[in-house]
Amino acid sequence: MELLSHDVLIIGGGLAGLRAALEAKKSGVDVAILSKVHPLRSHSVAAQGGVNAALHNVPAPIPDSWGNHAFDTIKGSDYLADQDAVEVMCREGIDRVVEMEHWGTLFSRTEDGRIAQRPFGGAGFPRTCYAADRTGHNLLHTLYEQIIGQNIPVYEEWYALSLVVHEERCLGILAYSMFKGQIIPIHAKVTILATGGYGRIYLRSTNAIINTGKGCSLAYRAGVPLQDMEFVQFHPTSLFGTNILITEGARGEGGYLKNAQGKRFMEDYAPHLMELGPRDIVARAIQTEIDEGRGFEGEYVLLDLTHLGREKIMNRLPGIRQIAMDFAGIDPISDPIPIQPAQHYSMGGISTNMDGETPMLGLFAAGECACVSVHGANRLGGNSLLETLVFGKRAGEKAASSRSSNIQNQKEVTKIFQQNLHQFQKDLEEIFMREIQEPSFKLREEMKTLMTYQVGIFRNASSLQFAKERIRDLKERFHRLGIKQKTLSFNHELVQYFELEGMLDISQVIIEGALARRESRGSHFRTDYPQRDDEHWLRHTLAYHTPQGPKLEYKPVAITSYPPKKREY
Amino acid sequence: MSLLRLKIKRFQKERHPQQWLETFDVKIQKGMNLLEALLRIQDEQDGTLSFRYSCRGAVCGSCAMKVNGVLVLACRTPVGPLLGETALIEPLPHFPVIRDLIVDFSSFFEHYRKIKPYLHEKPSSSDRETLMREEDRKEIDPYIQCILCGICFGACPSYGREAQFLGPAILAKAYRFLRDPRERREKEILKSVNGHRGVWGCNTVFECVRVCPKKVPPTHAIIKMRWKILRLKLRFFNLLSKGEEIM
Repeated sequence: MELLSHDVLIIGGGLAGLRAALEAKKSGVDVAILSKVHPLRSHSVAAQGGVNAALHNVPAPIPDSWGNHAFDTIKGSDYLADQDAVEVMCREGIDRVVEMEHWGTLFSRTEDGRIAQRPFGGAGFPRTCYAADRTGHNLLHTLYEQIIGQNIPVYEEWYALSLVVHEERCLGILAYSMFKGQIIPIHAKVTILATGGYGRIYLRSTNAIINTGKGCSLAYRAGVPLQDMEFVQFHPTSLFGTNILITEGARGEGGYLKNAQGKRFMEDYAPHLMELGPRDIVARAIQTEIDEGRGFEGEYVLLDLTHLGREKIMNRLPGIRQIAMDFAGIDPISDPIPIQPAQHYSMGGISTNMDGETPMLGLFAAGECACVSVHGANRLGGNSLLETLVFGKRAGEKAASSRSSNIQNQKEVTKIFQQNLHQFQKDLEEIFMREIQEPSFKLREEMKTLMTYQVGIFRNASSLQFAKERIRDLKERFHRLGIKQKTLSFNHELVQYFELEGMLDISQVIIEGALARRESRGSHFRTDYPQRDDEHWLRHTLAYHTPQGPKLEYKPVAITSYPPKKREY
Repeated sequence: MSLLRLKIKRFQKERHPQQWLETFDVKIQKGMNLLEALLRIQDEQDGTLSFRYSCRGAVCGSCAMKVNGVLVLACRTPVGPLLGETALIEPLPHFPVIRDLIVDFSSFFEHYRKIKPYLHEKPSSSDRETLMREEDRKEIDPYIQCILCGICFGACPSYGREAQFLGPAILAKAYRFLRDPRERREKEILKSVNGHRGVWGCNTVFECVRVCPKKVPPTHAIIKMRWKILRLKLRFFNLLSKGEEIM
């Protein structure tokens, strides 16, 4: 058995993973990245609008500060975010963004040459630093360039199959190299999960096709709790048809939302902030307009940029224009864009502290797959890129300084990996032996439909109860799926099988968390409990895996200096 | 619902014959693109069909391939215009095929590494951002759009002939750093692209500019770098001749 070994192994090559790798490398430890796609193909590349930092580069009546940023974030989170973590993010975020500039990110500029900032939803200041509407692309390429500069090895197109855990400590992973057609164990003092979101459990999602939430399910199956998973962000503006993201920056630059009557309907929902209300509120407003018959074809409303003029669109939103032209045949300079809400982001994730540590020794998480929690019940636009940079760095730093396991004996380590590998191969044989009763894509489509229509923007006890029963049924059927190809060389079916298994786990955790939480807070809106209920529900959900399904526990929210208030915009 | 017919060039190392053409019929829906059609084949007809994908929004650069002789990103290619006749789908040319539509990008990223593609920042004492003028940013901006999808390599006759040629995307990347006011390596970068495997290997046929899905103009960068190199040479020879006069 070939056993690879590193001090720090990072699963995922998006912004959080790459930022963690750079920081760990700085401490002089042996670090490697493993990613199922080339790092530049990670979903971070698709982020558009920007990254928040209180640089105060754009004149405002009073100077912006990280404290203002923290307040907006906490209010935006509907007071579920841990306030100490938010403060860390907003304070350290300033240096993280400036650092990216020094590493070469080509930010858009103000007239005096500083990093340009635009208004974003739920924010009191123009605080979102941007590189036109391709901020993720610019940041990801910059970080990958730094990875090349630091000679950090990447296992490209390798897939993490399972965590190897011994005496409640993570010792590394079993990995699958599709190109080699082999399962290869990798030992690591610390494993950092930075695998991104799970958007593809929904039919309508802005996420890349690869976003299946694998990291969350790996941790969950290993006994680590998933936190606040019922909080799923629906982005207000995805392109009708393909659900490709149309950045909030389009509204930040002055775009209007209009219903079929031509009315700027946000005046009925967020009269002060209008189109720049926070995402949960704007998404619900759009869905309400559509549901009550004021949309188009019962499916969408319009995002109108035509009044911004050609020059502004070409300079600030060239990517959006390209997307609208390529994928909808519409030029936003002359015509409004048809949009509808779609799943976009996971506020929940693997429970971590501010240094990326999960409750399991040797296992860290950072980025969208983690829940620190800085987003609480609703994330503000521009805070996800910031989270990857701030907490990616912190996780990398802490991981590099972590003590190794007590098992110093190489032979014992090898033995543990051998046993794990052996067991995995036995399970695999069982899967290969199964008679195929139904194709897996049908099950996947049923899951997506269920999540979209029963566990979407609006929820209630009966839709969630129905979903709970259906997901159990789908999980039953999952064990009767088979795989046609019985070899390991380029076995996409096998990878998709494991991903579906994880997606079903995640769906179940979301459903049960949502069913239990009898209140409405941020993105989680219960039509049968439309009010926030701080007395009972100002607390985080923790979901633990058991053979019978998720076991839910709760923990308090960290409050520092912002007592929960009514949330109005 | 209409029917799309795709003839796909297959390659699987362990099969006999290793290479074959296979035709698939796909039921299509309104607004469908080629990537979705391929995913549908993988789901419903042949789970072994191999191709790369990720963002499905033309930003990640995974799904470059050849469709009826034209190099495209599959996700950005609507199937509507492909209806009626059988569409021929082939892997991106000029790269070794690993399996079906998956090609080996290792030489592409080797070339990428050769130019040390990361900012070597001039010493900066500032704990804030370095100021940059809008005209400097605008000069670099077109080259920043590159998603490293490899389509320009597949279209480049120079790279097709000589795999050691650095290639359009990489030369565009070199120019992106060269023109960055924060970068300190001007001479080093010009040295690394000066030669028949660099800017002088380009045939200036603008194929890369024509095919780029992100409108990056590598030939423009190449020509600008040639001028810079020539200007440096001229200055050097002028100095030399002046020196002779003095002596």
